[in-house]
Amino acid sequence: MLLSLNWLKDYFAKSDVRLDPKELAEQLTMRGLAVSSIKRPAIGLEHVVAGRIEKIEKHPNADRLSVTWVVVSEGENAPRLQIVCGAKNISEGDIVPVAVEGAVLPGNLEIKNTTLRGVDSHGMLCSGKELNLSQDSQGILQLPKHSQIGRPLAQLLGSDDTVLEFELTPNRPDCLSVLGLAREIAPLIRTKLREAKPARFRISPHRTSAIVKVEVDDPGLCPRYVARVIDGLKVAESPEWIKQRLQSVGIRSVNNIVDITNFVMYEYGQPLHAFDLRKIESGTIRVSACKAPMDFTLLSGERLELKEGDILIQDGEKPIALAGIMGGLNSQIAEDTTSIVLESAAFLPEQIRKTTKRLGLHTESSKRFERGVDLVGVAAASERAASLLRDSFGGNVYHPPIDTNETTIRELTIAADMRDVRKLTGLYDLTSEQAAEVLEEIGISSHKKSTNILSVRIPSFRLDLRETVDIVEEIARIIGYDAIPQHFAISPATYDRFDEGQIDFENRARQSLANLGLREAIHYSFTSEANLKNFGNGGNTLVRLLNPISEEMKVLRNTLLPSLVQTYLYNKNRKVKNQKLFEVARVYLSDAQEETGVKETTFVSGLISGSTHPRSWNTQQNNVNFYTAKGILESLVRQLTTVFLAFEPQKNHQLFHPNRSAVIKLGLREIGILGEIHPYIRSTLLETDEAVVLFELNLDALKKFERTTVRFKTPSRFPTSEFDIALLVDKHITCNALVDTIRRVGGNLLAGLEMFDVYEGEKIPQDKKGLAFHLSLGTTERTLLDEEAHQLREKITQSLAEKHGAQLRT
Amino acid sequence: MIDNIQRIREEARIRISSIEDLEELDRLRVHYLGKKGLITTILHQLKNLEDEKRRELGATINKAKDELESEISLRKNELRKLQIERELEKSQPIDVTLPGSVPLEAGSLHPITRVTHQMVNCLKRIGFSVVSGPEVELEYYNFEALNTPEHHPARDLQDTFYINKPVLLRSHTSPVQIRTMKSKQPPLQVLAVGKVYRSDYDVTHTPMFHQMEGLMVDHDISLADLKGLLGYFIKNIFGARPLRFRPSYFPFVEPGAEVDMQCVLCKGNGRECRMCSSTGWLEICGCGMVHPNVFKAVNYDPDRYTGLAFGMGIERIAMLKYGIEDLRSFFENDYRMLEQF
Repeated sequence: MLLSLNWLKDYFAKSDVRLDPKELAEQLTMRGLAVSSIKRPAIGLEHVVAGRIEKIEKHPNADRLSVTWVVVSEGENAPRLQIVCGAKNISEGDIVPVAVEGAVLPGNLEIKNTTLRGVDSHGMLCSGKELNLSQDSQGILQLPKHSQIGRPLAQLLGSDDTVLEFELTPNRPDCLSVLGLAREIAPLIRTKLREAKPARFRISPHRTSAIVKVEVDDPGLCPRYVARVIDGLKVAESPEWIKQRLQSVGIRSVNNIVDITNFVMYEYGQPLHAFDLRKIESGTIRVSACKAPMDFTLLSGERLELKEGDILIQDGEKPIALAGIMGGLNSQIAEDTTSIVLESAAFLPEQIRKTTKRLGLHTESSKRFERGVDLVGVAAASERAASLLRDSFGGNVYHPPIDTNETTIRELTIAADMRDVRKLTGLYDLTSEQAAEVLEEIGISSHKKSTNILSVRIPSFRLDLRETVDIVEEIARIIGYDAIPQHFAISPATYDRFDEGQIDFENRARQSLANLGLREAIHYSFTSEANLKNFGNGGNTLVRLLNPISEEMKVLRNTLLPSLVQTYLYNKNRKVKNQKLFEVARVYLSDAQEETGVKETTFVSGLISGSTHPRSWNTQQNNVNFYTAKGILESLVRQLTTVFLAFEPQKNHQLFHPNRSAVIKLGLREIGILGEIHPYIRSTLLETDEAVVLFELNLDALKKFERTTVRFKTPSRFPTSEFDIALLVDKHITCNALVDTIRRVGGNLLAGLEMFDVYEGEKIPQDKKGLAFHLSLGTTERTLLDEEAHQLREKITQSLAEKHGAQLRT
Repeated sequence: MIDNIQRIREEARIRISSIEDLEELDRLRVHYLGKKGLITTILHQLKNLEDEKRRELGATINKAKDELESEISLRKNELRKLQIERELEKSQPIDVTLPGSVPLEAGSLHPITRVTHQMVNCLKRIGFSVVSGPEVELEYYNFEALNTPEHHPARDLQDTFYINKPVLLRSHTSPVQIRTMKSKQPPLQVLAVGKVYRSDYDVTHTPMFHQMEGLMVDHDISLADLKGLLGYFIKNIFGARPLRFRPSYFPFVEPGAEVDMQCVLCKGNGRECRMCSSTGWLEICGCGMVHPNVFKAVNYDPDRYTGLAFGMGIERIAMLKYGIEDLRSFFENDYRMLEQF
């Protein structure tokens, strides 16, 4: 919403009020009417003057361009500037804004003499948009015919004007009008609104109803419709003052009749529409919901399809306007129109919104209707427009008009309980007298009904005031939130905390991985379907968005791994080495058991690459591999939980190296996967020689086994007996098998076990591998005798030999 | 005999002090104190003496032995010190400017996680606890229960991602509050933190971002409490800065407000400031008193209870705190960004 301060001043009792735009903007913002910018249209227009187009010719070298000759000063011998122009809406004799050399237009566009496709051009003819005067970029701005040639545009347009741009909240449609804003501004500048003189019409010999009829099918869709016939009109250019007003708020002047409807819409907030009376052939205006899809052409020339439910204004059965949004081409004001039907109505906001959203058609009119209009104002706006058409253009107004709802508009009264006002605002000393005074400031009258009850009469235009809490807000708003004290509440809820275990667990996982050297990444929850399928996670449980932004953001992730791989690639392309990344986030699977049909599970996933340590002159470099990631995972799980995870080889996952990956199991349940990335993906997609290892784990599955506390064990006071055993076994024997045997035989006396070396190579047969363990034997009760230790060691090696064919290496 | 001891003692002392070599010193120790050393031999001879005499002499000899031991030990340390000093004189100092090498380079938390921790911890200290809820939600929790009827602008398909009506991706964390209120009667003091989704993608919008919302319901909670609480919060996060509360509109609160903080870049003067669009103020947080219709939806008695609610975008707070200018960079995961946290 734009507000011209010059226009605003028309509505104050004193016409010479002084307004400080910056201060006013600040005050309004603090009253909930946020001003987003202050515009001074004249700024930047110093070298833009009114010029008359003397001659237009086609550009010799460009079809879309024309060459114009323009005079920008009065006099017989005034020089003619040759200017190349691309617009179509110009003709010889037009008075238009001309930016001459030296002008700097909004957006820092500097105007210089130049050559366009081989023709010299000494300036520019400007559109409203180029001058930041309107949104209209279609054609050159047309200035009034009698404008003084050479006069700076700033003077022509009223250079003293300032325009405030508002970002209004949807609850205040009343402020989508100059009058509405004037109501809010008057108390801020301590002035009163000018009393509007009621328009007086003589009862005409012919009533409107004698000429047209109005039928409203469903008053729910159209609670009030006021129609008025006005004849004796002549379509012409609007007078300067109307053009200037419309111009100042960015509305293009069309002709006197259309301009008046726009003028009153902006003034009162009530959109109006004028039909050419000749076009209403049936004599009946019908407001009706569209019953079946049909084509319709708007007055803008745009063709669109109407759908069931759209509210239509019909000439009998033929639609002539899309109610509340835009009129039809078939009933618009033409050059020879002399009689009109002036429509002022209210329509069901929900339906207007539905239709505009569907069609993507947002107009000044729909903007107001979809937020709701003042039912009383429907008649007032009609009168205002009628009197302007009569007084300015000699229109003959048929009076009284047709009004479908004159009688049933009732005033709303709210009994506001002052105890609620005090309780909610924290203004505990506020009296009902003070509250009444505050409301009076913006024209809301009230009276004290009882000690605590203030009876508030709601003006018809305040559609947002419907219950006590609205009055509370209104009082607080006018008093000012700054005036409300600050208090610090302590609630008994402090002692009644919610279980934060899940969130803590996730955060502990994050912190553990960060401590282990990984950096946390956060990715979008959606990705492309191809991305999930290519990385081996398609399946029929994918969750898709109905209205995705793009194919790349269409499916909710069921694994975090593809995102990590993409981020790896992103960074690799920026020459980052040794990336260590993790993410803790939810994945989504269809699941009919869930209330929403989607099961959300928190996963932790990671990607490590390059060398294990940052490169240093002081340490040896090792590349990450399967075991590095496994170590990270085990450390993470050890810190978070009390469980042991089992790792089993796997070959089926497309993303992973078939010989260097494992599924992770908790008991019988698969809860994750770990491994080096498939060499094919590494060489084709990632194009790297660097080792890349990935892991993913279902964090929710681990939550049940969270390590919540520490069970302390006193360290043994007795020394342990320590020794190494080096074994030679067949290659297929797993480390786990040997460990199981050692543990079983060692029993309670095995105080510690560490696998510290693996060897394959020349020194041993090709089908064998060497594994070395360090064992600690001992008990917390006494020192183990050398002989006992020796015997146990023998027993262990014997079992290893029997069970796994393990030989001792010497 | 005593004279003999005294003599040996004197002689030893002189020899100890003149020895310049550790091995020689050890030989000397053996000479006097070894198994067959002079002092040891004398001690052995005491066996043959009568009790009284033996006790008297024994004390003297043992004293001499102790003194000798400690003198040798002292000299030993002196010689060692000299030896090390000689060795150090020969060696060169290392280059202390060579880079250090760590056993493990610490990783880091994402800036969003980091700032979330700060925000949450600040409010936990005054009694809030964190609750969570699903990201895939039902329209009812995301809109209807929040006094946002069917044709409210926020419900347009353009703004909200749908899975299939009425299932959607939550467009704010407020549905968590509805679920929480439905599970427990007041008093209540909770934070809902997490990912939210809106169908917007441009320079200042990403289709996913993070929110933190707070809710406090009890008897007699007022706008004054809201102001006190947010004043405390913002001071904790950004330090003492001018704030302003101005009326605004959100369907689920009334009175509703927006909190602006003085611009961190231009310090409020607003001249040509790209951060605050020259207004001098930065919007930080939307807030207000819980609308009675919301209470009705969760079976709270609006006559008995009042509540305050506030919500903010975590990215916005992180951008202001860390000086990050492009919202989208949070989700690009550029390693060179992540490494800075």
